Amino acid sequence: MTEPLVILSGVVKRFGDFTAVHHLDLEITAGEFVAIMGPSGCGKTTTLRMIAGLEVPTEGEARISGRLMNAVPVHERDTPMVWQSLALFPFLNARENVEFGLRMRGIGAAERRRRAVQWLERLEIGEFAERNVETLSGGQRQRVALARALVTEPPILLLDEPLSALDAHLIIRMQGVLTRLQRELGITFVYVTHSQSEAFALADRVVIMSRGRIVQVGQPREIYRAPANRFVAEFVGRNNILSGISRGDVIETALGIFPAAGLPAADKPATLVVAADLVRIDRTPTEGAIPCTLISEEFVGATVTLFLEAADGTDLKVQLPERALGDLNLHAGGRFHLSWPADAGHVLAEG
Amino acid sequence: MSARIATALLLGWLLLVFIFIFAPILASVVFSFNSDRFPTIPLGSFTTRWYDTIFADPEIGEAARASIVVSLSTSVIATTLGFATAYTDYRYNFRFKGPYLALILLPPTIPLIIMALAMLAWLSWIGASGQLWSIVIAHSVLTAPFAMAIIRLRLNQIDPNLEAAAWNLGSSEWKALRSVILPFCRPAIISAACLTAAVSFDEFVVAWFVSGLNKTVPVIILEIVQGNIDPQVNAIGSLVFLTSITLVVLAQVFFISRISRT
Amino acid sequence: MNRFALAFRLPIIVWQGLFFLGPLFFMIAMSFFLVKNYRMEEAFELKNWARMLTRGYVWDSYWYTLGLAASVTVVATLVAFPAAFALAFRVSEATRRWAIFLLIIPFFTSYLVRTFSWYVILAESGVINVGLGTVGLGPYTLLNTPVGTIVGYLTLLLPLVVILQTIALANIDRNLVQAARNLGYPPGRTLFAVIVPLAKTGLIIAALFCFILSFGDFVAPYYLGGSKPPTLPILIIDTTKSGQQWPRAAVVAVMMMLTLFAIAATAIWLAYRKRSAA
Repeated sequence: MTEPLVILSGVVKRFGDFTAVHHLDLEITAGEFVAIMGPSGCGKTTTLRMIAGLEVPTEGEARISGRLMNAVPVHERDTPMVWQSLALFPFLNARENVEFGLRMRGIGAAERRRRAVQWLERLEIGEFAERNVETLSGGQRQRVALARALVTEPPILLLDEPLSALDAHLIIRMQGVLTRLQRELGITFVYVTHSQSEAFALADRVVIMSRGRIVQVGQPREIYRAPANRFVAEFVGRNNILSGISRGDVIETALGIFPAAGLPAADKPATLVVAADLVRIDRTPTEGAIPCTLISEEFVGATVTLFLEAADGTDLKVQLPERALGDLNLHAGGRFHLSWPADAGHVLAEG
Repeated sequence: MSARIATALLLGWLLLVFIFIFAPILASVVFSFNSDRFPTIPLGSFTTRWYDTIFADPEIGEAARASIVVSLSTSVIATTLGFATAYTDYRYNFRFKGPYLALILLPPTIPLIIMALAMLAWLSWIGASGQLWSIVIAHSVLTAPFAMAIIRLRLNQIDPNLEAAAWNLGSSEWKALRSVILPFCRPAIISAACLTAAVSFDEFVVAWFVSGLNKTVPVIILEIVQGNIDPQVNAIGSLVFLTSITLVVLAQVFFISRISRT
Repeated sequence: MNRFALAFRLPIIVWQGLFFLGPLFFMIAMSFFLVKNYRMEEAFELKNWARMLTRGYVWDSYWYTLGLAASVTVVATLVAFPAAFALAFRVSEATRRWAIFLLIIPFFTSYLVRTFSWYVILAESGVINVGLGTVGLGPYTLLNTPVGTIVGYLTLLLPLVVILQTIALANIDRNLVQAARNLGYPPGRTLFAVIVPLAKTGLIIAALFCFILSFGDFVAPYYLGGSKPPTLPILIIDTTKSGQQWPRAAVVAVMMMLTLFAIAATAIWLAYRKRSAA
């Protein structure tokens, strides 16, 4: 087992009275694609900037390849970053932008040029090498920024919401580019985003942060199916979250009693999480189903999310393919019955 | 109907104001080519006599050289100081930043005649008056705020991550300044250099007080007009206008147009 | 703080400390110095102050300069306003930008030469009187009269005031003006009930600049106004240049500074005062 490439241990970052990151521990293995995800202000960008050396930890240690980095200035690190704003140099053309890092390392003009052009071609924008970066399209600029960061062949690439300015179809294409690059280069990518679809599509491992703390680390599927706590259950995916009390092998909630696995000891508070895509919806009552009124519906492509309300006012969601709507005869105010298989529920040991 | 009359009156008034502002400049240029000793209408014949006289006058030649040296030196010092302050204001927050900025921005709010007396007294007291560089010192204090303001406006437009991106790619702070901040600010720096040179080239109150025996062009003009009406003034004035307007237009071409477009 | 940050912060502190604050504080100190045998001596005496403040001609100059600066501020504000209004509301954005560029030019061109030009235009045998003469009028004395004085000050002030007023007016939210018209306000009432109050801060700041510039100018009153009594700046020049009485000139300069501080403070208070909730 080799030592992890990046180790953050007990890292705290304060700005005046505000604590952006609380006592954070994180290890990132060489060659891993890690996404750090969370709502704005959760400390994800601050964490990334500490790895780059743009922020110095107030407490704790940051190590890269075993070396203590706290006092190493930004420009002496090899941790290039792709910025949310891209931060391309407007007074340089595409090739000169890519050459920048090589120039700062004192590499000769001919060699610089060769390597820059090679990278631009690898990212399929060789023909735009001499173009002013301000005249390039969003996707092309994105590729220039990637080439600029990768041209020095670093062991790690940091990406700060790099796709947030792109159109939906370009995002998908750039995700493909990133995945391919990471696999080919075999280096570590640390990717900060607030977008679940980007994080889950790209990363081997997802780190979820909230209010300056890590709340869950795991593979995308693991996080999706087994959120560690209420925050993750609300933030990731579309979940129905029911508070209740454990009765041993069933949980008692305001909407009824449901069987579930992994419950805490009897009479302890517990929460039942049921993913919206595992909920079954019927026109007619079935055994143990919850009667609900349809409030509204949302179409995203071929997937439909239905928002319903139970008799006591609890909000419930159902997600299903559009073609499965069939004979449900949807209309606001319509009465439906919701149920789920016993193994669909995921239990959190908290109220 | 009355609204259209009101608009016509307003535009007419605007035109009058512009005529009032530019009439003296035009009159000066026209009379500089007029043969009559006393400038009036109807105009005499066309002549370049007044230009010939001033070009032949060694005192005016000396003053022109002095003016060029003073305005160029002022422009370099004021632009450097203005850049340093604009960059500090852009990049750093610190205690006493208010007084710090006031220090550079206040001089233009103090009447020139007061600055002139204060500079004269202080520079003589420390033994630095009566030299060409006494004017340079004084003019740098007076014009640095203009340079600061122009360069600061340019820095407002920079992507705040640009400098950090340079560090991230291996530039030290000094290298990033040279390879990112300076190229980004270059139009503003050229513009600031032109404008500070133009202000210095025209300034006569402080120059008159602190220059001692070294006279700049505006000080010569001041001395000539104190005597009597001399058409040479129109010729010198026209050349001074030409110089200043060129500098201002250059400044505009390089920068002011870019600010107003974004 | 590292060396880099210091390298950018320190120069201006040293330079302006030495050559801006230094002169100003020295001038204040100098107003207490004595002059003996045409040489200035360090001292702390109130003699200069006592002498200047008890001389009638100093006070005549003071009130004359104050009144003159106040009057030309009012005149320049009123003359500039319709022009600024036209630029802000009656021309296209592009025209306005061009007009402002043109107005910047005089700011950087010799005020002295422009004044001299007016001197020639206004003289007894100048362009205006010759022109009027051809239709059987005049000649009128224009130099060394209030007309000449005002023309001189307006030469100095108009470009700047028009620019500042135009910016103040152009920044008003057009919807509020439309709303007032929509509510049935006639144009005149819209002007005084909506436009002027909204542009108040900018208009007052423009007037303050007028006052500061005209209070400290000696060219207009000297060359075109035939200043009698002399204005304070002319008094400073005379006292410094011919009398070698720098400390007395410093007294006048300090009086001017104090006056300007008081006026600037009042103007800024007026400009930024919130309307009371009446």
